[in-house]
Amino acid sequence: MQLDIVTLIFGQASGTLANISRYILPLVGLAIVTRCVRSMLRERYEPETWAYLYLAGNVMIPLRHWECILGRARSVDGQVDDPSVERMHACLIRSPRGDWTVYNLGRGETYVNGEPVQPGGAAIQDADVLTLGQVSARFVDLTEEERSALLKYRHAPGRRVRPGVTMLLLTVFQILLLLQQLTYNPGAGIGVAMAFGILATAQWSYFAVVRITGQTGFEPEILALFLSTVGMSVAASKTPDDMLKYIILFVVSLGLFVFMCLWIRDLKRVKSVRLYAFFAAVILLAVTLVLAPERNGARSWLEFGSFTIQPSEFVKVLYIYAGAATLDRLFVNRNLIFYIGFSAACVGLLALMGDFGTALVFFVTFLVISFMRSGNFATVFLAVAGAVLGVMLVVTVKPHVVARFETWGHVWEDIYGAGYQQVRAMSAAASGGLFGQGAGNGWLVDIYAAETDMVFAVICEEMGLITGLCCVGSLLALAGFVVKNASSGRSSYFVIAGAATMSMMLVQVILNVYGTMDILPFTGVTFPFASVGGSSLIACWMLLAFVKGADMRANASFAVKRPERFSGGVGVDDDGYDAGGYEGGHYDGDGYDDDGYDGDGYDGYYYPGGRG
Amino acid sequence: MKKVTKRAFAVLLLAALVVAGMGVYLFRLVTDGGDWAAFYANDSVYTNGVLNRGSVTDRNGVVLASAGEDAFHYADDSTVRRACLHVVGDLDGNIGTSVLSIFRDRFIDYSFFTGTTTKGGAMKLTVDAEVSAAAYDALNGHRGTVLVYNYRTGEVLCMVSTPGWDPEQGITFDVSDPAYEGAFINRAVSSTFTPGSVFKLVTVAAALETMPDFWQKTYTCEGSDIIGGQKINCAGHHGTLTVEQGLACSCNVVFGHLGAELGGALISQYAEKFGLTTAHALNADIPTAAGSVPAAENAGDAAWEAIGQYRDLVNPYAFLRFMGAIANGGKVVEPSILYGKSNGSEQLMSAATAQTLSELMSYNVQYEYGPSNYPGLDLHAKTGTAEVGDGTSHAWFAGFITNENAPYAFVVMAERAGSGYGVAAPIANTVLQKAVSVSGN
Repeated sequence: MQLDIVTLIFGQASGTLANISRYILPLVGLAIVTRCVRSMLRERYEPETWAYLYLAGNVMIPLRHWECILGRARSVDGQVDDPSVERMHACLIRSPRGDWTVYNLGRGETYVNGEPVQPGGAAIQDADVLTLGQVSARFVDLTEEERSALLKYRHAPGRRVRPGVTMLLLTVFQILLLLQQLTYNPGAGIGVAMAFGILATAQWSYFAVVRITGQTGFEPEILALFLSTVGMSVAASKTPDDMLKYIILFVVSLGLFVFMCLWIRDLKRVKSVRLYAFFAAVILLAVTLVLAPERNGARSWLEFGSFTIQPSEFVKVLYIYAGAATLDRLFVNRNLIFYIGFSAACVGLLALMGDFGTALVFFVTFLVISFMRSGNFATVFLAVAGAVLGVMLVVTVKPHVVARFETWGHVWEDIYGAGYQQVRAMSAAASGGLFGQGAGNGWLVDIYAAETDMVFAVICEEMGLITGLCCVGSLLALAGFVVKNASSGRSSYFVIAGAATMSMMLVQVILNVYGTMDILPFTGVTFPFASVGGSSLIACWMLLAFVKGADMRANASFAVKRPERFSGGVGVDDDGYDAGGYEGGHYDGDGYDDDGYDGDGYDGYYYPGGRG
Repeated sequence: MKKVTKRAFAVLLLAALVVAGMGVYLFRLVTDGGDWAAFYANDSVYTNGVLNRGSVTDRNGVVLASAGEDAFHYADDSTVRRACLHVVGDLDGNIGTSVLSIFRDRFIDYSFFTGTTTKGGAMKLTVDAEVSAAAYDALNGHRGTVLVYNYRTGEVLCMVSTPGWDPEQGITFDVSDPAYEGAFINRAVSSTFTPGSVFKLVTVAAALETMPDFWQKTYTCEGSDIIGGQKINCAGHHGTLTVEQGLACSCNVVFGHLGAELGGALISQYAEKFGLTTAHALNADIPTAAGSVPAAENAGDAAWEAIGQYRDLVNPYAFLRFMGAIANGGKVVEPSILYGKSNGSEQLMSAATAQTLSELMSYNVQYEYGPSNYPGLDLHAKTGTAEVGDGTSHAWFAGFITNENAPYAFVVMAERAGSGYGVAAPIANTVLQKAVSVSGN
C-alpha cells in the first residue's frame, strides 16, 4: 500500500518533470549544435607551412600543402609572376615521409640546381635552387624542429568554446531523453536506461582518452554523438526491448571510427590499399545482387539468420576511400576514366538491386568527386548524360520506383495507398510543434519504416521541430567545416574525401527529409547517424573519419599526424601527446624508396611527358 | 591544390539545397500544418479515428460538439443539432464548408509552435443555437436557408441550411431520396439560386446612380408588356407607377423597361460591384460559391435580367453581404462565424446610395408588405419569387432591421416553396422576432 503511494507520487513527479523537460530538451539540443558551430566558426584555420621558396629580392613563397602547383596563374599555390613562367608550370609534391619532388607540368622548362627536370621528376632538397623559366628561387625545407617551433603560432581549438562543456550538455540532453522515454514509453525500462548509460560511458571514455592524448577538436564527434543519441531515442521508441543490439552497434561504430582515424593518419598506407577498396566495393555489391532476397522490390539486404546487413552502406566508405585522390593522380586522364568506370559499376549494380535512393546518393557523390578531381565540365556533362539514361532505365524497369514518382506531390490524394506513409509522417511532424510530444510519446514510429526512412518526422513528432532542425543543422555545420578546412589541407586526398563524405550525407538528408515531406519523391534513404540501422550507423561513423582527417587546426584531430615533438623545441605545449604512432621521425635522408614505396609506378605518380 | 580546395565549395551547393528544401518545408508547415495535424490518422488527437479532444459552443456557451476520451457528442437538443449541422459539420467531414472540416486545427488546438496539445481547443462560434433552432423550425421542412448577421460587428447569428440530419444518429437516410437533395451542402455558402425580384435592388441601384430623372420616371403597367420583342408578365395590373412604387409592388413591367433602358451590361456591372458574382471566403477559409449575372445583349433579355430572371444566379451569403452594406451606410462588415474574429470591411456603394436603397426598402414594408405583419421590427426588405421554369418558384425575403441593439441583416430563401411574401417573409419574421428577443429587446 505504502509502496503504491510512493510509486504514485514518483510517477506524478516524473510526469511533471517529463512535461517540463519537453520544452528544455530541444533548447539543450540547440545549445549543443550552436556551441559546435560557434567553435567551428570562431577557431582559426591557420595553414601549416612545410617549406619556402625564396625569390630574388627576398620575396618568399610559403608552401602550405603537400601538393603545390607553381606558375603564373592566380589559381596556383605559389604564384611566380613572370612572362617566362607557364600558367601552371611545375608541381612540388611532398611525400608522407617528408621528401620533396618537383615535376614539370607544361611546356616550360624547370631546373634544379641548373639540371633540367626530367619527365620522371627530380628530388629537391633544402637549399637547392629551383628555376622556372627565367626565374630562380631557393628552396628551403623546414626541419621537424623548425616546424615544431612554428607550431606555437598556431592555435588549438577548444579554448573559446570548451568541448567538455558541450559534452556535459550532450549528457544533459541524454538524461532528459531517458527521463521522457521512461515516462512516456510504456515499453521502456531497464534496457533503455542501460543503453543510455552505456552510450554516455562510451562517449566520455572516448573523450577522456582523446583529450589526454592532447587533441582538443571535438565538434565533429559531438555532432555525430548528438545525432546518434537522437537515433537511439527513436530506436527506444520503436523497439524498447531490443536496445542491446543498438548499443553494441554503437560501440562497434565508435571503435571503427577510431580505427579509421588512426588508419588515415598515414597517407602512404591509405594509398597502398586503395586498389583493394575498388575491388572490394564492386565485389560486395555484386555478391549482394546475387545473394540478397527481394524485399519491397529491392535486393539490398544480406541475411544471416536473424542478422541483416546492408552492404551498400559499407560500400559508401569504400567508394570514398577509393575515389579520393592525391594531386599527382589528378593530372592523369586515365585515372579519371578508371574512376568513372568504377562509379558506373557501383551505380549500375545498385540500380540492378533496385535500390534507387542509394544509387542516387552514389551518383551525386560521384559528381562531386569527379568535379573536384577534374573540374572539367565536359567530363561531368558526359557523366550526367550517361546517368540520366541510366535513371530512365531504372524507372522503366522498376515499377515501384515509377509509383513513387507518380505519387510525388499528390500524397494527400492517396492517403490509403501510395501516400500512406508520408501523410502520416507529415501529420505526426506537424503535431509535434516546436517542442515535440515527448520522446516515446509518438505514434508515427509504429508505421512501417518510420524509424529509418521517415526518421526526421519521428524526431519532429517526439522531440520537436527544433530538434529536427538541429539534426539537419549538425550536418550542415559539418559540411561548412569541411569546406573551411579545405584551404589548409595537406593533401587533396583528404580535401576530396572530406567534401565527398559531406556531399554524400547531405544528399541523404535531402532525400530522406524531403522525400518524407513530399517535396521530393520518396526514395527510402537513411538520415545519417539518426536513422535506426546498424549498417548505416557503422558506415556513417567510419565516414566521419574523413571529416576528422580534413581537420587541419592545430592539435585538433588525432586523424591528422602532428609534427614530431622535440624536447628542445621552442614553445610547444607539453600536452602529453604520445608520439608513438608517428613514423616519420627517423628521417634518414636517403630518399623515399626504402620500403618499395612508389617504385613500381602502380601508385600513379604522373611523370609528365613520360610514358608516351 | 588551390583549385581542388576551391572546388570543395561544391559541398556548399548541396548545403544550399538542404536549406532551400527546409524553407519549402517550413513554409508548407506554416500554411498547411493545421490540416496535417488534423488528419484522422494522427493518434495524438484521435482515438480509433474519432477526435478525442476539443469542443465547439455557440455564442452563449451552448455545446454544439464536444470530444472526450471515450466519445464524441453533438448538441443536447436534437433541433439545435439539425439547425447547426451545416455550420458545425460532422466528424466524417460530410460537410466540407463546416467548422469541423475547415477549422479542425482550431478544434484540436493546433498551433505551429505547440503542435497539438493535450487539452484540445475550446472554440466559440458567433451563432446562436436558439435562433438557429427557430429558423430550422420556421423553414418547416422546406429546403432552403436562413442567414442572419449583425451588420455592425459581422457576427453571424444564424446560418441554417435544410435539409439536414441529426449528426448524433449519423446518416440513416437514403442519399438518393429527393427529400434529402443537397443535404451535404450548406446552401447559404455553397449554392446559387435564381434571385427573382430581390435582384431588383441591384437594378434600382443602377438606375438611381445613372439616371438623372430617376425620381421623375413613371411607367404604366397593364399586367404585361412587350419589351424588346419579349413579353414580360407582371403579377398585377398596377397602372401608372413611379420606380419607387414599382419596387414596392415588385412590378415586372417597370423593371423590365428600366432594364431595357439601362442595358444588360450595366446591370451585370452593378451585380459585380456589389459582390454578387464574386466567390468570397467566410473567415478567410470557408469558400463560397460565386453567383453569375451574364450581361444580356438585347433589350428583351435585359428586361428579364433586370427582374432577376434570365440567367441570373445569386449566392445567399453574397446577398447577405449586399444587405449588410445597405444597412451599414454602404460599407459591408465582413461576416464571421468565429467568435471574436473580425474580418474587416469593404465599401460596396456610396453612403448616399445605401441611404436611398434603405429608404426604398422601408417604403416596401410600409406601403406594401404591411408593418403590422412584422410587429416591433424596424424592417427594410424586399421580396422575391423566382420562377425556376417548371411552375415552381424560390421564395426569397431579404433585408435588415434597424432596431436598437439588434442591427441584423438577413436572407431567407426557401427552394421551390412559393412566393416570397407568402412563404419567406413569415419565416424571416419568426426568426427575427427570436433574434430580437434573445438580444434583450
